[in-house]
Amino acid sequence: MIATVASHQVLSLRRQRVFLAMLATLLTMTALAGVLGWSSHQTIVRVYDEAVKLLAATGKPAPANPFLLKPTLSLLSNMVVYIPLIGALLALIVGHLSIVDDETNGTGRLVFSRQISRTSYVLGKITSAAIILAVVLAASLAVSVVALLVVNRTIAGGDLGRLLLFYALSWLYLMAFALIGMVTVLMTRRRSIALLSAIGAWLVITFVIPQFTSGLRPAQSLNPITDPAGTSQTFFKITAKLRPYSIVEQYKQASGRILQTANAESLDHTITRVMPIAGAAVLLVLLIVRLVQRHDFSRSANSE
Amino acid sequence: MSDSTKRIITLARHEYRSAVRSRILVVLISILVSVTAVSVYIASVDYAGKLADYQAYADAAKNSGLDRIAPSPLAALSLLRAPFEYLEIIGAVIAITLGYLTVSRERSNRTLPLIRSRPVTSGELATGSLLGALGVITTLVGVTATVGVLGVGIIGHDWINATQALQLLLAYIASILYMGAFSCLGAIATAKSRVAANGLMIALGIWLVVVLVLPQIGDTMDADNQIPGGLFKALGLGHDGEVSILTHFTGYERIRTWTEELSLAKHFERFSFAMTDVKERYRPFSLPWLLGQTRNDSGWMVVYSAALYAGLRRALRTQPAIPHGGMQ
Repeated sequence: MIATVASHQVLSLRRQRVFLAMLATLLTMTALAGVLGWSSHQTIVRVYDEAVKLLAATGKPAPANPFLLKPTLSLLSNMVVYIPLIGALLALIVGHLSIVDDETNGTGRLVFSRQISRTSYVLGKITSAAIILAVVLAASLAVSVVALLVVNRTIAGGDLGRLLLFYALSWLYLMAFALIGMVTVLMTRRRSIALLSAIGAWLVITFVIPQFTSGLRPAQSLNPITDPAGTSQTFFKITAKLRPYSIVEQYKQASGRILQTANAESLDHTITRVMPIAGAAVLLVLLIVRLVQRHDFSRSANSE
Repeated sequence: MSDSTKRIITLARHEYRSAVRSRILVVLISILVSVTAVSVYIASVDYAGKLADYQAYADAAKNSGLDRIAPSPLAALSLLRAPFEYLEIIGAVIAITLGYLTVSRERSNRTLPLIRSRPVTSGELATGSLLGALGVITTLVGVTATVGVLGVGIIGHDWINATQALQLLLAYIASILYMGAFSCLGAIATAKSRVAANGLMIALGIWLVVVLVLPQIGDTMDADNQIPGGLFKALGLGHDGEVSILTHFTGYERIRTWTEELSLAKHFERFSFAMTDVKERYRPFSLPWLLGQTRNDSGWMVVYSAALYAGLRRALRTQPAIPHGGMQ
């Protein structure tokens, strides 16, 4: 029954062209990340060459090329920004539509007139979101590999493994947001309020919490390379305890370690960073199961 | 006062009252005010320490008989950088929500046919709704400004002077204009969509591109942003060296600038950062010079806002009083 609900939901999202729109958006953003990474890299190398000439003309020694030690996967470092910004919003919409359509179309009433348990129903919905996100991210992975092959002409087995790990982590992160999209539908009465509540949660997780726990200004979340903010104040000594639970920061840090664009750390440490994201996803699944048990599907949600 | 003006004011009051009754709007506004308060607190505590250090240095220099004391490198208004970034991101979402509610409320309450049965033109309806939304935005901006200024004064121990107050006022007026434009966008997208929630999604999609994606591309393409601390600093080059090298990258820089200039958010950011001394290079200059330097950004903000207001008038004129095809 879970498979039936999941396949129906996947079909429904495909028919609404949500799947196609999401696929197109994520592929565009992956290609954009590759182009930007390549373009920036080329420019920086040229800037370095010009700087060497300029410094030589003034009799100063040339500094070390800051890009010599850049890892090959740094070409895709923008993906670490795009997944929490664009990917998470798209995941919210996938989760939102998974539940809200059954309410506004009245399909929920029809479904529960059949022999189906609410747990199977909700697990089917979660599975459908998981499948959609996995397919979309797999396509994004393929574009990333092509981008690396175009620029570097080759890709090492280790780098491929790292990319796979990065996309697996991204899937987990996006699942958390798809689940938030479902929770807000189940907790509110109006479709638009559900969507706005989900967006509000995304804003808080992506921009507000990192400032509270790490002093990162909102605009700093837009750049893959940021200067560390000063956090010596008493305020941060208190809020820093919550930093491990800031899932966007943990996602970015863990992704940086996996793609080798951030300072190296032990595997255990990276796994510790993934745990809050996995924990959030598990808690949200439990919450959704509970909310669906109590949800009144006999009323239709107001689209306005 | 003409009858048309009276009708516009009535519609604006109706819009304002209805908007402040919306729970989700109140929640979003509460988030914005809270983050403003916290970000000002964080910045001001740090600032107070630096100000005390400077005062100690100035006192010591004075006591030792020095005639020339280095001016303070600190800028009180720059503490408001994060609140302006929040207005740029969260403020725009609030404004879109306001615009969305303007249309969806009348649709769901089925009051649009009632309003249309009165002698109200689409222009009056658009102007009244926008003025009501601007009233809510002004209240919100006023609250965040008060929180910001009091935070800087009480926690940062530095009260802003009259010139700084004028600069800040201009930055907040720009915020109102910026959010007003997004309010129009929310209303247009909702009016054009058969299902109001889809209009909201479209407006949020545009917001994502304008506020986050385009500025992000511009920032990423900035050569200096590629290394923590700045590329040119890492290469041991000062501002003159940076300018000299960038003359070899005019094509690249032009593409980057054009990408950023497509974004209304970037124009708002540049203007507000110039007014609030965020960029050090602007600090030594007077207000007329700053206004001259940012005239391109203020001009684009006016153009975008005017175009969206015209779009709102058109959208409300062509919107059917009774929605077709039911609620979905």
